[in-house]
Amino acid sequence: MVHVGSHETDRPAKEHANTAGSTLIEVAEVNAGYDNQRERTRLIALRDISLKVTQGEFLAIVGPSGCGKTTLINMIAGFVKPLSGVVKVRGVPVDGPGADRAMVFQDYALLPWRTVERNVEFAIENRRGHVPKPERRARIANALQLVGLAGFEKSYPHELSGGMRQRVGIARALVGEPEILLMDEPFGAVDAMTREAMQAELEKIIAETRQTVVFITHSIDEAITLGDRIVVVSSRPGTIREIIDIDLPRPRFDERNDIKRSARFGEIRSHLWKLLSDEALGAKWGSVARQEGETA
Amino acid sequence: MTHVAPAERSTRSPAQVETITVSRYASLKGVAVTIVNLAVFFLLWELIARAGLINELFFPRASEMFAAMYNGFADGTILPEIWHSLSNFLIGLAISIVIGIPVGLLMGASRVADLILSPYVWAMASLPRVALIPLLILIMGFDNSMQLTIIVLSAVFPIMVNCMAGVKTVDPSLLRAGRVFGTSRVQTYSKIIFPFTLPFVISGVNQGIARGLVGMLIGELLGGGGSGLGFLLDRAGDQFDAPMLYAVLILLAVMSVGLIQSMRWLEQRAAPWRDTLRT
Repeated sequence: MVHVGSHETDRPAKEHANTAGSTLIEVAEVNAGYDNQRERTRLIALRDISLKVTQGEFLAIVGPSGCGKTTLINMIAGFVKPLSGVVKVRGVPVDGPGADRAMVFQDYALLPWRTVERNVEFAIENRRGHVPKPERRARIANALQLVGLAGFEKSYPHELSGGMRQRVGIARALVGEPEILLMDEPFGAVDAMTREAMQAELEKIIAETRQTVVFITHSIDEAITLGDRIVVVSSRPGTIREIIDIDLPRPRFDERNDIKRSARFGEIRSHLWKLLSDEALGAKWGSVARQEGETA
Repeated sequence: MTHVAPAERSTRSPAQVETITVSRYASLKGVAVTIVNLAVFFLLWELIARAGLINELFFPRASEMFAAMYNGFADGTILPEIWHSLSNFLIGLAISIVIGIPVGLLMGASRVADLILSPYVWAMASLPRVALIPLLILIMGFDNSMQLTIIVLSAVFPIMVNCMAGVKTVDPSLLRAGRVFGTSRVQTYSKIIFPFTLPFVISGVNQGIARGLVGMLIGELLGGGGSGLGFLLDRAGDQFDAPMLYAVLILLAVMSVGLIQSMRWLEQRAAPWRDTLRT
């Protein structure tokens, strides 16, 4: 058995410089689910989730599809309320979305009738007193520069490739300088080559802006290369299977030193793979019985 | 081909784009093809009619049809009727838009409004318009208001239903983005829902035009108002005036195509992103 540091038992106190901050997000004993009015049932999406995210940390959440990852990130964003338990940001219970949290969506969610710069502006024009008008232009130019989209200000989303659209999505999320960046499978819809390039760039961007990131993915490699910690979520209902520290040095995307070939990467990868393949098989065998149990 | 797909245009670097020479007359090609096409059509028509294969009583020569059209314009029998039909139609369409869009938007936005209104709207949207003619004549007689009413009743429901569908099909992830980035209720409507609905409104108006034209014609044909292109059609039929009958049909076709094509053009201008959104 390979040793992989587990959060509950033997997580070193100060492993990385950027996880040394105070607790920023706290999820405490949360249950979440959705009511189906017509069938009078409640689908439990998440059960007994407790989790802390420290300031400046990059937290990756992996799990099979339908395990409630998105519900978790939606609760942090503030548009899903837990059935029980509490989600706190800086010690204050989350009550709706706020300027301190921004989100990057899997399907980009750009306004197709707006140009790139107007899409980015969308993030800072709605909340009163969020960013004063004269400051906006500079902020937008900055954000577009950061994601490498300078020169595309006047383009429309439908004129851009998938990877470029997501850069707009990232610029939009960053322009309001939120403390927390929520990313819901942001690279799930782009091709493999672009995906890797985007991961490298995200690491660089985050190193510069120092946001706290909660990143959902179902790619094991993506989770390991990007995350400081990985939360493995089991499915139906989602529970935390394990929290794993990723002690690989940063920057992880370094041309001379391919992190994916390191022995440590392989160890973590096979451990995660085992966890998740159990989970995928278990979900398959167990799903019928569990569903019956739930509706009864 | 000179056309570059817009999806590729801006992702390409300037070094990739080369200038090519295209004939100066390339853009006229489409027009030329259409003109030749129509010329061949009318020529064939003329030849078939001249061959006497079909009774001339209901299949006149193309040249006779054009002569009837020319004479109609010259002696002032056609133009006032076109004007009557067109102005009636445009007024009816304007009324339909003014009623249809807000009600449709309201039905899309409010569950209560939808629940209350939708049985009537769907019933009226599906009911063949001709069925209303006897009742409308009973209420309004052979007055012009009856013709106007049937146009409005024809055009307003497609507009309403499309607006409602537009609001209801707003991309949920755009609404999520709105919430993340702090849109108020008013902002959600003005910045997300209405712009998203715009192309639906336009295609609703498009359908409204098509249906409204039918309404206009049945009003003029069956309403007995004694004016309009429908009246000309009716009278030409009664008088076995086949050239005039065909002439009016062609004018109606031109008018409908003109109206619908100009809306298409507007639709593309208003929402160039729509095609790519659907794929």
